[in-house]
Amino acid sequence: MTAQFPPPVPQTEQRLLSHEELEAALRDIGARRYHNLHPFHRLLHDGKLSKDQVRAWALNRYYYQAMIPVKDAALLARLPDAQLRRIWRQRIVDHDGDHEGDGGIERWLKLAEGVGFTRDYVLSTKGILSATRFSVDAYVHFVSERSLLEAIASSLTEMFSPTIISERVAGMLKNYDFITKDTLAYFDKRLTQAPRDADFALDYVKRHATTPEMQRAAMDALTFKCTVLWTQLDALYFAYVAPGMVPPDAWQPGEGLVAESNSAEASPAATTATAEPTAFSGSDVPRLPRGVRLRFDEVRNKHVLLAPERTFDLDDNAVAVLKLVDGQNTVSQIARILGQTYDADPAIIEADILPMLAGLAQKRVLER
Amino acid sequence: MNAPTPAPSPVDVIPAPVGLLAELTHRCPLRCPYCSNPLELDRRSAELDTQTWLRVLTEASGLGVLHVHLSGGEPTARPDIVEITAKCAELGLYSNLITSGVGGALAKLDALYDVGLDHVQLSVQGVDAANAEKIGGLKNAQPQKMQFAARVTELGLPLTLNSVIHRGNIHEVPGFIDLAVKLGAKRLEVAHTQYYGWAYVNRAALMPDKSQVDESIRIVEAARERLKGQLVIDLVVPDYYAKYPKACAGGWGRKLMNVTPQGKVLPCHAAETIPGLEFWYVTDHSLSEIWTQSPAFAAYRGTSWMKEPCRSCDRREKDWGGCRCQALALTGDAANTDPACSLSPLHAKMRDLAKEEAAETPPDYIYRSIGTNVQNPLSEKAPL
Repeated sequence: MTAQFPPPVPQTEQRLLSHEELEAALRDIGARRYHNLHPFHRLLHDGKLSKDQVRAWALNRYYYQAMIPVKDAALLARLPDAQLRRIWRQRIVDHDGDHEGDGGIERWLKLAEGVGFTRDYVLSTKGILSATRFSVDAYVHFVSERSLLEAIASSLTEMFSPTIISERVAGMLKNYDFITKDTLAYFDKRLTQAPRDADFALDYVKRHATTPEMQRAAMDALTFKCTVLWTQLDALYFAYVAPGMVPPDAWQPGEGLVAESNSAEASPAATTATAEPTAFSGSDVPRLPRGVRLRFDEVRNKHVLLAPERTFDLDDNAVAVLKLVDGQNTVSQIARILGQTYDADPAIIEADILPMLAGLAQKRVLER
Repeated sequence: MNAPTPAPSPVDVIPAPVGLLAELTHRCPLRCPYCSNPLELDRRSAELDTQTWLRVLTEASGLGVLHVHLSGGEPTARPDIVEITAKCAELGLYSNLITSGVGGALAKLDALYDVGLDHVQLSVQGVDAANAEKIGGLKNAQPQKMQFAARVTELGLPLTLNSVIHRGNIHEVPGFIDLAVKLGAKRLEVAHTQYYGWAYVNRAALMPDKSQVDESIRIVEAARERLKGQLVIDLVVPDYYAKYPKACAGGWGRKLMNVTPQGKVLPCHAAETIPGLEFWYVTDHSLSEIWTQSPAFAAYRGTSWMKEPCRSCDRREKDWGGCRCQALALTGDAANTDPACSLSPLHAKMRDLAKEEAAETPPDYIYRSIGTNVQNPLSEKAPL
């Protein structure tokens, strides 16, 4: 099903790239084609989608999430040695979880429920766009049928998974007042998992793409995967943004939703505009007040923020920021230090951490 | 092929506890008629000694506990409260003093601050002094509380006010909010009475009517918006008027353990009302053994004990079937669905009961006290 047109012509002038060149070429594919560049993604990121548009995205993307372990299981079945399988099977664990109620798919279901869908409707996938199904199925077939090298290379979009807070799922969704804290609480795990996964896959591709043709195949596989993601957003944009042509049988606003109760969603305004006293600027010096402590929890092997009657689970970014909250550093200084550490633009980091700090201040666990 | 086996559930994984409720003593100068302590209170002579508490804290820390709630009774009635608090700080445990602010509390506050107390939760029974003192059953309590609160904020300690709401003070909800702001509290708990323990005995005297409850919720929501960034308000709504039950203590044996003054370890503070449960003591077992092996913790942990409608319910791992003690008290079987849940066949009856009691003239309070012979409410009030 992935026959190539036209048939490949041998490219005699191709030479074998060094590992560094190959990585650069792969990264270049992402820099031009990864779906964070897609107009739909930009709207999502900037908080400009309506609730129904976010719903359409969450519903369709569920199918992708749900099929990822199927794809990884197909790949796993072809891996020849135990060590590789041990590494790869972790992806399935990450997605499926270790038990009911755990894992990436479950987190996505929570998101879908959080924006109003009934669980059963999401699970049925009956409202998804055909383009979603075709793209995702094409990906699963690709991984099952192409060479192992291509299959693994196609997973390298993980290299482009965003590292800055605002680009991440939870960060983007914070812009929407209909997304509750409970919904977001299920997120952010994937973001520490992705780099680990990508490191292994990249290393594998570098070591196993030993001819110019194989290197080209790996790059093509990654391009293919980028189109799998891009196409899904094209279809969402076409159906739910402009021109707004929803295909027959695809989800229409109002379908598959839990009946909204007035009391449960009381005061949606409560989560919108940040009240002034808690807004931070770059020159502010944040500090943890007495009664709030950042602590490493050795039993659970993670950092937590301890506060009156509460424990806040922190993602890696929040930990990185809070470690620098010492009552001396300004927000801008913190952004600069993080920029050096993570080789990123301090201005972007600052823009990301300001809302995070304001959020903590609003919960009264951070002061100026 | 084998028969399909049910998917493994978190029931198989025992999570590490997050919180330890250390009921250091049952002694208390106040006599609140909704006290969460059991009807049969531990006497001073039965209380654990200092060394045992220090050991319990060390074990708790090793087990994964992050928050220790130093409670009672009135925890500052213990002469070793400073030593116990210092141990929490040494272990990195977050110490939360749950106090009435009366008696010797103020005298010990500075020393507690010095050894690293993290947070103070002060109970306020009412806003109007006469009303507050009637509810708490202690004359001159209110000025002491105000003085105590002032010193807490003066020291820079974070202060939470805890107000237990019932028909005797529900009209004061706006006053509680103003008081919290005035005292410089960062948090306010507007906690509608949960009808266990002494509150169950006094239910008819405490139950507000539905319209009052709705109004109080509306007031809290408006205040949350108005005071955003200044005061965090936690609202605990009354079970009897709720749609879904609360996950009792975050789920039985999932987050919290409660050590009584004499060292009995409970999954929740009312668990002793359930007959037939075997509780272990910290004097006989390590906290880790108790958490992972004691029959009382195993009894209702996870979901395998559940009956319908919980068993097949989507929410079973959200609310864990609600409160076992309430299920027992109101249905006669602790393994039934908490009737606070709208899916319980007894939910409508529970709501009607609340309405009836709220509509009647309230009886006098039966004040909490050590050694008073109050009958077990189960024999006094029939299940639904």
